Amino acid sequence: MKKILAGVLCTAMAASLLGMSSFADETEAAGNGLAEDGKFVVGFDAEYPPYGYMDDNGDYTGFDLELAAAVCDLEGWELVARPIDWDSKDMELGSGNIDCIWNGFTMNGREDSYTFSVPYVDNSQVIVTAEDTGIASLDDLAGKIVGVQADSAALSLLEDGGDQADLGATFGELQQFGDYNTAFAELQAGSLDAVAIDIGVANYQIAGREGYVILDEYLNSEQYAVGFKLGNDALCGIINADLATLLENGTFDEIAAKYEDMGIPADMLCLAESLGVEAETEADA
Amino acid sequence: MALLEMKHIRKSFDGLEVIRDISLQVDQGEVLSIIGPSGSGKSTMLRCATMLETIDAGEIWYLGEKTAWVEPDGTMVYPKGERLKKAHSCFGLVFQNFNLFPHFSVLKNIVDPMVHNQKKPKAEAVKEAMDLLGRMGLADKADAYPCQLSGGQSQRVAIARALALNPQVLFFDEPTSALDPELTGEVLKVIRSLAELHIAMVIVTHEMNFAKEISDHVIFMDKGMIEVEGSSEEVFSAKNDRMKAFFGKLEH
Amino acid sequence: MSFQVMMQQLGSGLLRSIHIFALTLLFSLPLGLLVSFGRMSKNRIIRSIVWIYISVMRGTPLMLQLLAVYFGPFYIGGLKLGTMWRFTAIIIAFSVNYAAYFAEIYRSGIESMPPGQYEAARILGYSRTSTFFRIILPQVIKRILPSVTNEVITLVKDTSLAFSLAYAEMFTIAKQIAAKETSFMPFLAAALFYYVFNAIVAFGMERIEKSLNYYT
Repeated sequence: MKKILAGVLCTAMAASLLGMSSFADETEAAGNGLAEDGKFVVGFDAEYPPYGYMDDNGDYTGFDLELAAAVCDLEGWELVARPIDWDSKDMELGSGNIDCIWNGFTMNGREDSYTFSVPYVDNSQVIVTAEDTGIASLDDLAGKIVGVQADSAALSLLEDGGDQADLGATFGELQQFGDYNTAFAELQAGSLDAVAIDIGVANYQIAGREGYVILDEYLNSEQYAVGFKLGNDALCGIINADLATLLENGTFDEIAAKYEDMGIPADMLCLAESLGVEAETEADA
Repeated sequence: MALLEMKHIRKSFDGLEVIRDISLQVDQGEVLSIIGPSGSGKSTMLRCATMLETIDAGEIWYLGEKTAWVEPDGTMVYPKGERLKKAHSCFGLVFQNFNLFPHFSVLKNIVDPMVHNQKKPKAEAVKEAMDLLGRMGLADKADAYPCQLSGGQSQRVAIARALALNPQVLFFDEPTSALDPELTGEVLKVIRSLAELHIAMVIVTHEMNFAKEISDHVIFMDKGMIEVEGSSEEVFSAKNDRMKAFFGKLEH
Repeated sequence: MSFQVMMQQLGSGLLRSIHIFALTLLFSLPLGLLVSFGRMSKNRIIRSIVWIYISVMRGTPLMLQLLAVYFGPFYIGGLKLGTMWRFTAIIIAFSVNYAAYFAEIYRSGIESMPPGQYEAARILGYSRTSTFFRIILPQVIKRILPSVTNEVITLVKDTSLAFSLAYAEMFTIAKQIAAKETSFMPFLAAALFYYVFNAIVAFGMERIEKSLNYYT
């Protein structure tokens, strides 16, 4: 029995090593900076409408995924929309399982951790409350329980070291939640007084529900961009050029028009502006 | 040639010597009973003979072949492969607790070892098994499961199972000790009927009248040693103090 | 999203969950038996290694093990992960984890067998292997079936942990639909699917238990 067991253990170990080395063969295969040849793997949170979500037919879509699809059309790539666990996004990107995070991804404050494309949406972090709570301004939040999605831009804003850390310190409690459905249920049930989230998501969520308002005072304004593994300038450059093309040929505005009523009004778009700024910078140089 | 010879066997458990230099011999067709008080080493002796226990010293011979011995350096040795198999196939053992296989029917308990280990054709095995069950008065229980049998019935099935493999010597380890008193009779009757068939038997038992009546040879063991040995009449009429003490206890 | 599409989506998620469930059982049940042999081995080194393995598997969260198996080869070994690796890693992590639990169940069953069964088998001429597979294992299976049923039902629910490796099984799909619809309905539907799945599993296990009731 001992010998059999030892044999099996050795075989298992050998098999797992072989298995791994077969993965190793793929390491140097990528020629165009993509993780898998000809496939553009976009990591996104499928619980993040309108940027990435499951549509009525059960397919993954959203503003960001449509943009990614348009880029793939230009490049002749195959788009792979890969829903990921948001908490594991760094591991997924770092290990090369995905080529980029393209999912209403706030660039501000994360510049040291990722290589970012040009920003294409002006986002704001806002506060949503139920209509009848009597909270009308940021000052009214003192002592209240405010919910924020784990690992989100709103959280890093309100935490120690964030731009709104002082405001965050006035809260009774800063409570993290996993997904927006739960957060809104908690708002309704009264276990949360307010929720701090991205304005686009807030617009989408409020459109589907009764009795919520967005405070007029915003927490900040920030920008969305496509995030690449730090140092992947080659792929980032391709995407930047393609975004410029999409803006030029009108595809960007076409896609944006579809989402105007789903939480991304035209005044949030900033691709033209950021490309213009870049053009000027280049001209200066 | 003796069927079984045990020479100068010793066996200790945790430093306590339970068998001290015992030798015995069983001839073809002979019935040997081993009697003695509890803890005298009778069952251990049987377990050494059937190779369920190793021995610390001495030799065991089956059919003139050495089948267990202790090397000068103290390691115990069994012969290899076929020789050991052959030794194993000469004996059967009936346990105190029957040890039937509960997930097999009565018939399968008997047939499975014949077919699986002796490679007998199934039909032949079933026929032999049914004959044996008939002889045990259990023909109607062939399809029953052990849990549906009384203790006496279970022990008779166990005897049939052992007999089915055609052993030359059959060991019984206190075959009636686990039974209610009213059930011992049916089992003893079966064993008696085997003696008439001239199968050699080694019986460890507390049934003194039974031992006296059935045995060609009787061994009285006490404290790991053979105290008295001889023919049935010789032993049961011996004037040994320990034996007297033993019988005295039995009567009370 | 129409009710029908939602059910279709959840159904396809359910198929993925069943996929994990079935493959995990297929690998972990035999592997668990092997591990239990290691756990009961006479060799002290094998016994200790297996003991450590079991205690790590039972002492750390399955979600962590999933991440370790999936990302480990890249972050520790520097190996590139292929597309097939995601599902493979899930099955490896689940199988290796459940094998540890099954091993302890097998062990308790094997150790509860009376020595007389081994002795009778030996006297009747069964080899060690046939003794185990013909005499011991069938009885062990009957003894451990209730504990195995518990683990199997836990496995049905644990399949939702595959989401930590972005594998879109049923619960993940339910969360995604819920986000899109801003509604809890999909969770109710998912709960119903899990319940029915488990009811079928429990029914099947009960049938097996009953079929072994012919002896005690």
